[in-house]
Amino acid sequence: MNLRSLAACACAAALLAAGASACSSHSAGTGTSTSTSTSSEGGTLTIQGDSGNPTLVENFNPFQPSTELHGTYLIYAPLETVSSINGSYTPFLATGYKFTSPTTLVYTIRSGVKWSDGTAFTPADVVFTFNLLKKYAALDANGVWSQIGAVSASGNDVTFTFKAPNVPFAATIAQTPIVPEHVWSSISNPVTFTNTHPVGTGPYTLKTFAPTQYTLTKNALYWDASKIAPTSVVFPAQATSQSTNQLEVSEGQFDWSYTYLPDVKATYVDRDPSTNQYWFPPGGTIGLFLNLTQAPYNNVNFRQGISLALNRATIAQKAVNGYMKPASTSGIILPNEQQWLDPSLPGQGVVSQNHGAAMAAFARAGYTSQGGKLMGPNGQATMTIVLPNSFTDWAAAATEISSELGQIGIKVNLDEPQYAQYAQTTQAGTFNAAIGGFGGTGIPFNDYNLTLNSAYAAPVHTPTVNNFERFNNAGVNRALATLAAATNPSAQQQATDRLETMMYQTVPVVLLYYGGSWGLFSTKHFTGWPSASDPYTLPTNYNYSLLTVVTHLVKA
Amino acid sequence: MRYILRKVTLFIVTLWAAITLNFILPRLMPGSPVDAALGKLASAGVPITNAEKAAVEAQLGAPHTSIFVQYGDYLRNIATLRFGTSFSFPSQTVALTIGKALPWTVVLVGATTVFAFVIGTLLGVYAGWHRGRFADSSVTIGATFFGAFPPFWLGLLLLYWLAFKFGWFPLKGGYSPGTTPNWSLSFLGDALDHSVLPALTLAITTLSGWVFGMRNNMINTLGEDYVTFAEANGLRSRTVALLYAARNALLPNVTAFGLMLGAVVGGSVLVEGIYSYPGVGNLLYLAVTNHDYPLMQALLLVFTLSMLVAIFVVDLLYPRLDPRVRSAT
Amino acid sequence: MTIITSVPPPQAPGTAGEVRIGAASAVPGPLRFIGRALRTLWSNGKARTGMIILGLIVLAAIFAPLIAPHSPTATNFQPYLGPSATNLLGTTGNGQDVFSQLIFGARVSLIVGVCAGALATLVAVTIGLISGYRPGVIDEVLSFVTNLALVIPALPLMIILAAYLQGRSVWTIVLVVAFTSWATGARVIRSQTKTLRTRDFVTSAVFSGERLPRIVFRDILPNMTSLVAASFLAAATAAVLAEASLEFLGLGNPSTVSWGTILFAAQQQNALLTGQWLMVFAPGLAIVLLMVSFTLINFGVDALSNPRLREK
Repeated sequence: MNLRSLAACACAAALLAAGASACSSHSAGTGTSTSTSTSSEGGTLTIQGDSGNPTLVENFNPFQPSTELHGTYLIYAPLETVSSINGSYTPFLATGYKFTSPTTLVYTIRSGVKWSDGTAFTPADVVFTFNLLKKYAALDANGVWSQIGAVSASGNDVTFTFKAPNVPFAATIAQTPIVPEHVWSSISNPVTFTNTHPVGTGPYTLKTFAPTQYTLTKNALYWDASKIAPTSVVFPAQATSQSTNQLEVSEGQFDWSYTYLPDVKATYVDRDPSTNQYWFPPGGTIGLFLNLTQAPYNNVNFRQGISLALNRATIAQKAVNGYMKPASTSGIILPNEQQWLDPSLPGQGVVSQNHGAAMAAFARAGYTSQGGKLMGPNGQATMTIVLPNSFTDWAAAATEISSELGQIGIKVNLDEPQYAQYAQTTQAGTFNAAIGGFGGTGIPFNDYNLTLNSAYAAPVHTPTVNNFERFNNAGVNRALATLAAATNPSAQQQATDRLETMMYQTVPVVLLYYGGSWGLFSTKHFTGWPSASDPYTLPTNYNYSLLTVVTHLVKA
Repeated sequence: MRYILRKVTLFIVTLWAAITLNFILPRLMPGSPVDAALGKLASAGVPITNAEKAAVEAQLGAPHTSIFVQYGDYLRNIATLRFGTSFSFPSQTVALTIGKALPWTVVLVGATTVFAFVIGTLLGVYAGWHRGRFADSSVTIGATFFGAFPPFWLGLLLLYWLAFKFGWFPLKGGYSPGTTPNWSLSFLGDALDHSVLPALTLAITTLSGWVFGMRNNMINTLGEDYVTFAEANGLRSRTVALLYAARNALLPNVTAFGLMLGAVVGGSVLVEGIYSYPGVGNLLYLAVTNHDYPLMQALLLVFTLSMLVAIFVVDLLYPRLDPRVRSAT
Repeated sequence: MTIITSVPPPQAPGTAGEVRIGAASAVPGPLRFIGRALRTLWSNGKARTGMIILGLIVLAAIFAPLIAPHSPTATNFQPYLGPSATNLLGTTGNGQDVFSQLIFGARVSLIVGVCAGALATLVAVTIGLISGYRPGVIDEVLSFVTNLALVIPALPLMIILAAYLQGRSVWTIVLVVAFTSWATGARVIRSQTKTLRTRDFVTSAVFSGERLPRIVFRDILPNMTSLVAASFLAAATAAVLAEASLEFLGLGNPSTVSWGTILFAAQQQNALLTGQWLMVFAPGLAIVLLMVSFTLINFGVDALSNPRLREK
């Protein structure tokens, strides 16, 4: 065969190969091509948010935190959902709860509920679920059994007995997904169980699953089925490239998306002003965490100096383009938790930049300005701030912080490794200063407890995620214990006020600006989305807020 | 025979060294896979607590045995093709994850490489034959320019203009969301539609390697006596170019094939990431960011093995193509 | 082992690069040598274009503070702006001027390209010389290591190494890139050394009792200069691309100003979404031009060594 025909053959073969790009014959999917047609009833809801990688893995095991499909929250109903904005409860499998004593919590279970396979749901399923978490500690991602000692059912009630008073923990118990005893009791290892045929009490069941998209359909046996608007919910997988996801959101492919968008008015709202809307409420607080085991950060005056030297408005502007406001240093998220705010705090706890006051605080800590540098007993004050390089708003905030602190004479360096390395150094307590997140659970006690409780302050080199800045204050511990045991609202308010004042005065963390919750909606098919005028929950679709919102929607 | 024996020994020893290196490298990375998994949750805004971390640790089963025990297990598992369970996809074995992604990359990379090889070689012959004239200059300047394109840059621009602005091609994926891979004609058409942009990106950026290689070899070959002799005998220049010069000039390009494969696979890591193409390049990038040791090891092994096999095959083939080497063994 | 470049693949046995006849054992004074080389390069049209482009980029890098209208890191502009009179290429999501970043970015890209290329070539020459000169165990071992380095895919190795090395500076990138791209050059140099080793003038030098360093530096190396130069230019080209790729993936230091980090920022802040495609186009084009200039000069170097490649 001469070279010419060889070349021609190769050419043709290449074109043919390109033209017939074969596909994988493997598939984990249970269904075939899915059509997302709207039915006569409620229509189809399309939600963006599940990570593809780039294909989805079919596993609706609700206890595996790192691989959860968001649809799991629509399939498995909990006792109640708790709004992450203001901590209010929405009943689901339970109709209500009360504390009969500071350590006894009783939930009243709804009757007449059926599992999606027709079996009746009973309080025994609730007891079974919690005992399952006890038996397999790996499933207990929220640490339920570190707080409760026993769970039992009698009649329509399920009783939880706590080891020590912890009233706010009811919210964590409320949001534990309940699984059916008649299915899960025969599973040999729930920790590694790949759940492809989920049986739940939620408003939706699994209809089809394809590698890049899955569809849920309305559960006819749901006790409140007539009030649920969408007949089917579609979850397409996201792209691996975040910028492609933003492009798709901008094109209007989804009813509900959760992603940061730069210049949201131009890139989203203006594309279809009659239906596209957004709501970016604060969902947590971003702060500068100083390592409290190191000098001079263990000196409260030095921390006050840092806090007073920063211009939070500028930092927020640079970090998130003005979407978010400067945070209240009380640890309360405004305006979400306005009702908890201590009115005696000046300026709602928001600290403005004040160079004079900052220098006075530094002076009390033994640091004075000499020749443009802030000098102390060991020479010039220096700081290395660590943060993950993929969090661009944190990076912008840190850059601004370093320039502002540079102006008063502190030399600041930035260290931006990948997240895993950042986690390692912060958890081990070997960092100098770090950007991190504070709060965001919607419940003040949980927010404070996770960051301030010295029980979590492990020694340096022993990793801890909670209280990694190693704060240790007996007064704060006492206040936390009081709040944990407080059952009536006025006692809770008093204890919360005390914690707010302590945050404001001792500055364990220099709180900077609020972290945003990026809700993007379209009213083309459904209305009833959370918004500034109707803030019933945060617009996050990766936790039980998803259930709260979807059951709240009405057809447009 | 000795030649083959030498090549086989070299293959096996290199394979062992590559396997061991693949074992060591992922473990040198700071940070554990648990932290990486928590990172994913953190960037989604989920508050991370000690309990959450303990649960993730239990779920991923982070290793606690000594490194030598791990190495022994590793070798044993490779021999039995058991690569374990990935940290990013705990419900799916690594073998299955790679198995689902590999065909996509093989087709994308394979089709692109064959296409670029053929077109590039032909262009190289053309340029070498017309050396010094306008045809040569335009081909070389063009190839230089396009060959310098960073694949991710070209990918982004093509994505923006052709997919986002004009909407001619899909923005992401290997196939439309909601469809399951099958052999139907409509699916193949859908897959083709989704593969145009990634293939175009890879093809344009790898073309130049072939062009230059072939051109240089052509020029060297053209100086050889037998070519002058053929011309003097009055053979048509096209015949001389293809039958005499090109055929001999092709040989070094064939040896380069195995090496170029590695380069294209490397380029596909970025291109697949930009287009969310469900191939192994994308998997590797995810594995590295997630500190997913089992997946990373298996992927590096797959890449290295395919390169080794390609080079090995070429080494075996070479004596067939070049009698000078055959007689020397 | 380089990422896609225009490096000619290693040549087939029997067609080793030509050695200038007559230059066998006489070594011209180094300055005269360089002068002659530059003149020959300049006479080659492609190399001339390459040198002009490279010269412009180098000038831009040196005089960056004078040419760039603003500071590259100051964040005082409105973010996400399109091109305007004050901001020729628009602004980033942090409010920085892209055009100034482009000018200053030339410094890092040049330094990394040249340094990484030089380091890789140094390693390649050392290993190639040793391996090619002494057949036997040393050669077998070094060839094996070279082949191993060739077989491991470059980009994945670079990603892993960059993530491992904790010093997040430009020099980390230089080390990582050099470490992963020496193998191709080593192979080429080894085969050339082997060929030269068998040449008469080297054999006679060995027999006349010349010491090893003298043989290497006076007889072998000078006859490989163009090969080494070509190797260096190819390595530098690959290094520029590798640096951009690593920065793009976020494995470098996001606070340095280089063409790769502009692309990283463009991707993170989704310049395509805000319509700022120029922010993606411009730094990429700059990278392309730098790589092209190296390659064009390399054409001239090829012509130096292989008279058949010289333009008529």
